[in-house]
Amino acid sequence: MSDPFKPRPAFAPWDRRELPGLFDVEESARRVGAYKWIEMRLFEALGGWIATVPELDVKMILGRHCYHHAWHAELFDKRLPELREMNTDRLCAPANDAMEAFVEALHEPDAPELTIEKLVGVFRVLMPRKIAAYTFHLNGTSRVTDAPTQRSLEFILQDEWNDWREGEMLLQSLIDTPEELERAIRRQHELEALVVRAGGITGPGTIGTTTEVEGAGV
Amino acid sequence: MRKQLPPEMLARDSRFVRTSIMDQILDPRNRKISERTIGPAKLAPGRPASADRARNLMHGIFTGEIQALEGAGRTMFDFDETEAPFALKLDMARQCWDEARHVEISIKLGEWMGTEIGEFTEATFLYEAACAPDPVLRLCGVNRALEGLAIDVFNTMKEFGDVSGDPVLEFCEDWMLADEVTHVKMGSDWLRRLTADDPERLERALDFQRTVDKLFSLGGFRGETDENPVHLARKLREMAGFSTTEIDEIAELSELARAEGKAAVEAAGSA
Ligand SMILES: [Fe+2]
Ligand SMILES: [Fe+2]
Repeated sequence: MSDPFKPRPAFAPWDRRELPGLFDVEESARRVGAYKWIEMRLFEALGGWIATVPELDVKMILGRHCYHHAWHAELFDKRLPELREMNTDRLCAPANDAMEAFVEALHEPDAPELTIEKLVGVFRVLMPRKIAAYTFHLNGTSRVTDAPTQRSLEFILQDEWNDWREGEMLLQSLIDTPEELERAIRRQHELEALVVRAGGITGPGTIGTTTEVEGAGV
Repeated sequence: MRKQLPPEMLARDSRFVRTSIMDQILDPRNRKISERTIGPAKLAPGRPASADRARNLMHGIFTGEIQALEGAGRTMFDFDETEAPFALKLDMARQCWDEARHVEISIKLGEWMGTEIGEFTEATFLYEAACAPDPVLRLCGVNRALEGLAIDVFNTMKEFGDVSGDPVLEFCEDWMLADEVTHVKMGSDWLRRLTADDPERLERALDFQRTVDKLFSLGGFRGETDENPVHLARKLREMAGFSTTEIDEIAELSELARAEGKAAVEAAGSA
């Protein structure tokens, strides 16, 4: 029988977690606040659009996804006080003016004929950006000190992958003609231009690049 | 996207046919139907056309679920956080997911019962209650009044599934009932929280609920006798946060609505 009192290393050989991480408490809180803000704007938009899309399958899928993003917002909201931000509304804000402009443009389509425009904004522009930002945070933060954020991000990313895939398949099933393809590309181009100006959902440096973006209003 | 989307702008595919609830209630043919002596109105397998009536009711549930989904979604979008707090929006998002599942269940159950989308008309009364300008009114009109009605309807359908030997119907209605009790409770809890310091707002909301409750007792559609196709589910309503006084009041309103509905049909028939 092995001796239970024999000293063992504090970390198992396969545990490669390291200190420090890329973000201090303040930066982690700033990013989490921006994530909560974007998740809120997304679930509100999906909720609002349900009544405006005639396609029954899209209607039901938006209803389901809407809850997923609300849950993400709730997880981020709960994390903020743990990052010394007791007023969770203060950091629940867009990264910059350009990000706010992007969300305004994302929300714009209203008419029942514009399902492609609504879905492109969510599934071909915003969700890939969220997946990128969350993955960067997950990979860059200290897996020791920021483990609670990391755990939430892992659950959230699982939802994001599944929902993105479902949304992309919806779009592929809706885009049939050259005109519809043109609409999808045009919409993606318009919104991408805005999100590039914002520098990503937490502003310049969202995925580690630190170049300041001109005109982002930071 | 605009705030406050009116009912006529609800987006539907070409299978759906819209009608007004008042046209349905005041249809002059109702008089002839009410003159026929075909036994009690309660949904029972032995009653003529009970299968058709159950299918019709199922289609009504299906369109109601779509509107409940749409209404909860709009409450998240139409209000900012000063009007609808973050936690309320989270509850509405959860309700969206639940209602989306109810739409799925209703479609599959409708197919099982032998009906198809668009076979019956759609009245937008549920969504209309979800257009109130105050979120508290929406919670009272939709979550407490109409989802309270949904509890009564689902319970009636569940019992019908049981007595008519349809385990699929019974199974589905039971699951939907569980969710609806949660939604009604959500309405009761938020009503208390949002009006804790505002008795006038509370009274306005309860007034709106009474109006909706009376309107949707639909000329005797819901009540506590064999003359009412849908029965008041007292026990489940208690679980959802209704007091006995409130349930008694709904029973009285239903009786009143039955008498008024009868008079309206007679007046329409003699006009
Ligand atoms: Fe429902
Ligand atoms: Fe419900």
